[in-house]
Amino acid sequence: MNLICLGLNHESAPVEVRENFSIPMEELGERSHALTGLTSVDEAVFISTCNRTEVYVATSDASLQNIEQEVKEKLGFDASYFYEFKAEEAIAHLCRVVSGLDSMVLGETEIFGQVKKAYQYAHEASATGGILNKLFQKSFGIGKRVRTETTIQSGQTSVGSVALDLAEKIFDDLKNSTVMVIGAGEMSRITVQSMILRGVKKVIVTNRSFENAQALADEVGGEAVRFDEWAKVMPEVDVVISSTGATEPVVKVSDIEPLRKKRKYRPLFLIDIAMPRDIEHAVGEIEEVYLYDLDTLQKQVEVGQAKRQQQVTECEKIIGDEVQKMGNQQRNNSE
Amino acid sequence: MILSLLIAAILSGLAGVIGVRAVLADQQRSRWTLFLMVLSFGCQMFWLGLRGEERAGCPLLDNGEILVFLAWSVSLFYFIVGSTYRVTLLGMFSAPVVSAMLLSALIPGMLDTDPQPIQNVDYWGEMHSAVSVLSYGALALGAVSAVMFLVLDKRLKAQDMNSGLFKKLPAVPTLIGSVIRLTVIGVFFLTVGLACGFKMQISEAGKLHLYAGAFVWLLYVLLLGVWFVRGMVPRKMSLFMVVLFVVSLSVFAVL
Repeated sequence: MNLICLGLNHESAPVEVRENFSIPMEELGERSHALTGLTSVDEAVFISTCNRTEVYVATSDASLQNIEQEVKEKLGFDASYFYEFKAEEAIAHLCRVVSGLDSMVLGETEIFGQVKKAYQYAHEASATGGILNKLFQKSFGIGKRVRTETTIQSGQTSVGSVALDLAEKIFDDLKNSTVMVIGAGEMSRITVQSMILRGVKKVIVTNRSFENAQALADEVGGEAVRFDEWAKVMPEVDVVISSTGATEPVVKVSDIEPLRKKRKYRPLFLIDIAMPRDIEHAVGEIEEVYLYDLDTLQKQVEVGQAKRQQQVTECEKIIGDEVQKMGNQQRNNSE
Repeated sequence: MILSLLIAAILSGLAGVIGVRAVLADQQRSRWTLFLMVLSFGCQMFWLGLRGEERAGCPLLDNGEILVFLAWSVSLFYFIVGSTYRVTLLGMFSAPVVSAMLLSALIPGMLDTDPQPIQNVDYWGEMHSAVSVLSYGALALGAVSAVMFLVLDKRLKAQDMNSGLFKKLPAVPTLIGSVIRLTVIGVFFLTVGLACGFKMQISEAGKLHLYAGAFVWLLYVLLLGVWFVRGMVPRKMSLFMVVLFVVSLSVFAVL
């Protein structure tokens, strides 16, 4: 197969370099089509995500030298940042990308949709033909096989997703849950945003600086509460995400105990992602309180990542077998 | 005839084993559990049907019959609760309970080897027995759900999120919701059962049995009242449900 893949990703190039090569989604088809204007290029598909920009080009020319030269010139190829795969190596690489094995978060699923979309744009722009159509369709099939036959996508890989899974275990549907954020820092923002995506009913933000609380509340569509008044809204709260810079505990047993009756002893999920910790350890001993700190969540992330890492060999084997099959088929066809 | 009971016990036992294996192996939910429970339920129905013909009435006279009827009732409520909930883990937890009840019924002396037809059928008495045992089925399954919640609560408190059991257990509101729903259904049937009981012809021993039943009913009503009016820690509620169900079984000892 006269195929070549050129690209850069989060491992080969820093973000400032990746930014220069990034292509907006809506331009992918047009750019792929433009590449087929080169004399040696028959088919082309550009893929561009926040962590990678790659191009797959195919030619009927048995010698890849011309195509390589032309594409490199067109792209502004820089050997210090770009990688290059040819023929079966390029096929295996695409399969690894589609399966999430080449992603920053191992096994992530978003990449599958992104590659599919990039291929659709190129296809609609008539930049693909027999070789790339077959290759991409096959890679999607292999990607699906990898995900169904292994557990590469199981387990959580970020503190936010661990917290989210736990919240759903405790409250089932977050659509009926109210989340309170104590401290308007970055970690709180990321965690609460993932919960908003799952449709939490209400977000309350409190911070020593009321202006910062208001700013975060405006950003996430929540309500700001003054720092000395957070206990007043606690009866309606189900999840607390605390991430302040305080050196002394912010949430103490003496804050929660008097609220228990008002809350009718409903479960309360406390996520302490501050360092030093914001929530007194003894709060977790209250029967209906589930307290998780950063260390516990981080450990769970490591377990998730390790689980995915264990699956890599199995995934690579599936990809290797499939690529070999494709290679054999190709050789049989050409004989 | 006894063979159908033995087969029912084996099938539900097998359903439990398959459920446990699926959880331990972190596999997707096993539909075999449900299938085997359906087969076991069929065998229980078959046995109860034959026994009913022999008794010429509701087969609820000896301890063995009560246990079989109770197992049938637990199985029935297991099928009635929601499908998503049923196929995940309730089967794994309730199948061994059903199996244990059926095996206990098979212990020599539990079942009357020569069941005689009931003379002078008292319809209030028949209703009392049938509806009360049905209520115990719901309460038993409520207790099973409470055990499931206690397991989940322990894992959440211990911050142990990696076991297959933790992943497969339904969320807290689902479990607590089931505990409450099944208890409310159980208390409703128990109320009807007791009302019928007070209308039937009662011996002195029967009176004691009825009073014990009424005491159990009162405890359940109190527990539900506290839950709905004042609120209660889910863990305490679940513990009470399990303990109360075990204690409530003593009602049958006063027969």
